Amino acid sequence: MKFAYYPGCSARSTCAELNVATHRVAEKLGLELLQLESATCTGARELRAIDPAGFYALNIRILALAERESMPLMTVCNTCTLNLLDAHAAFVSDADLAGAVNGRLAEEGLSYSGRTRISHFLWVLHEDIGMTRLREMVVNPLTGLSVAAFYGCHITRPPARYGFVDSRNNIALERLAESLGCRPIEYSGRTECCGFHTAAHDEKVAIKLTGQHILSAKTGGAQAMITPCPLCHTVLDGFQREIEKDLKQDLDMPVLHLPQLVGLALGLTPEELNIDRHMVPAGAVTNFVANTNRGLT
Amino acid sequence: MPAIAPASGASQLGQAENRDTLALRNTRLTPGDTIVVRVRRYDGADARYQSFKVPYRKYMRILDALNWIAENEATDLAFRWICGSKMCGSCALRMNGREVLACWEAVEPVMTIEPLRNLPVIRDLVVDRAPFEDKVAALEPWLERNAAYGGFPEPLSHKQMKNASKALDCIGCMCCYSACPVIGLGDLTNFAGPAPLVQLGQTALDPRNSPDKVRRSLALTGIFNCVSCYKCEEACPAAIPIVTQVIEPLKAKAAELVPAMAGHARSLRDIVQSRGFVDPGALVLRVKGLSALANLPRILRLLIRGKINPLKTFLFVRTAASAPARRLLNKKAAAP
Repeated sequence: MKFAYYPGCSARSTCAELNVATHRVAEKLGLELLQLESATCTGARELRAIDPAGFYALNIRILALAERESMPLMTVCNTCTLNLLDAHAAFVSDADLAGAVNGRLAEEGLSYSGRTRISHFLWVLHEDIGMTRLREMVVNPLTGLSVAAFYGCHITRPPARYGFVDSRNNIALERLAESLGCRPIEYSGRTECCGFHTAAHDEKVAIKLTGQHILSAKTGGAQAMITPCPLCHTVLDGFQREIEKDLKQDLDMPVLHLPQLVGLALGLTPEELNIDRHMVPAGAVTNFVANTNRGLT
Repeated sequence: MPAIAPASGASQLGQAENRDTLALRNTRLTPGDTIVVRVRRYDGADARYQSFKVPYRKYMRILDALNWIAENEATDLAFRWICGSKMCGSCALRMNGREVLACWEAVEPVMTIEPLRNLPVIRDLVVDRAPFEDKVAALEPWLERNAAYGGFPEPLSHKQMKNASKALDCIGCMCCYSACPVIGLGDLTNFAGPAPLVQLGQTALDPRNSPDKVRRSLALTGIFNCVSCYKCEEACPAAIPIVTQVIEPLKAKAAELVPAMAGHARSLRDIVQSRGFVDPGALVLRVKGLSALANLPRILRLLIRGKINPLKTFLFVRTAASAPARRLLNKKAAAP
């Protein structure tokens, strides 16, 4: 199965390990990824507020690039996914907007007709691979590894749009973790906000919000957190030292990108998945995997 | 061309599996069943939870259960309601951790009922709305005309009133204010919060309002502290798209009328326009200036883990995405 692949800015910079892991895991899963090299940023949260015309142009251009390849578009970032879904929804419901954007895309020989299917890697695993097939591919079941699923916001809200279910009903990450052998835990932070989108100008909101979520995961017995979003990862992992200072207590909570957890179960090594590139060492997880391999757990 | 965005089967996982659809919720209890209602009681000094067993009757709402408790078990239970039909916005509370209207939400077999968050509790389920009302009053959410009233009908199109009219659906129930995580952090920021912003949006997004008036109001909102989590939209019983049709249009107005508030957003735009991508190092340096370099140990840790790349930040390398971004974000070219 072929996908046009859009990693986004984060997976090409601060979370480069996510891009590496996604490519490795896709290969294991038999997914052929064509990375859209000329695709731009989707504009995060800022562009859509202060420059809607620019926002639609950039996002619809990305959809047009995928359409030109006749492939569905796969993302690995919640915010990029929602931006692309929103731009697509606006495009197909507003003929004036569609005409204006296509007029500007024509300058480089591009055009969008509204046919691109947008899918996040988490949804690809459920819809295109399926949990039954995934379970068959697991060579290194992570039996008993307690994980806290951290969805983030833009893969589950705004409610009711794009089929998003009410936050309390999300189960896609937990189902996936179970398929890999993990034991997903119950905790209060699952579908809460990490505060990333104000962190570039002021980190304190992200630090305060996310501290509560990591603490809740730790209290719930999680050995690691997993997230489908590199922006959440940046706060959960990258700010954890600052969060510990704020809470005045150690957390030592490893945070894995979704493809990294899948990769471990599919038999890839922590090094191949760049798990050593996180700010919080993931020793607890990698030791668990090593012991599982040696039959010690 | 498909009429709607591609719905994803995986994004729909959960509701049916958790038996949480409207149809299932309406049929999981039968008249005569006993429901357990745990209510947070507060008398001004001490808080405690009190449990009640309430006989279920068909189509029972939380409000019906509370009225049953007040009539039969706890005559001193304090809770607010007026219209009982999703109009007055006075009966909002939290059921099992979610903000709901007592008059609109079906009971669940086991419920914990608590007052709204982020407002002082006066007694039991009654909160003090004064902090919200003070905030709204400070924002002066009224209209000061740009031009003299030209008589009825005014030349206004649906498109011009698209966002303001959504904000006018607000019933002032404060569900969003309770659900907002940034408001939950108290005085940490000066963020006005979703409910006051919706009140402001009713007039600030009206094209007849004077830009001077809107500028004065927006300057007080701390609106760029919104984390865009959509919790407010999830909680809103009036289904107002608070983020996309109120907060984002207000941010756009703020960027235009009070440019100093939107420095970060403009920096991001400029970086995307020149590079095609966001370089996090470049963004943080530009937004925070030299103070970004204050935490040297953190910068070193980021360097060691390869999280930042000064070479890329300072020796900007042109990529395949640079040219299209420069062209598409060029305002002059975008103008019709």
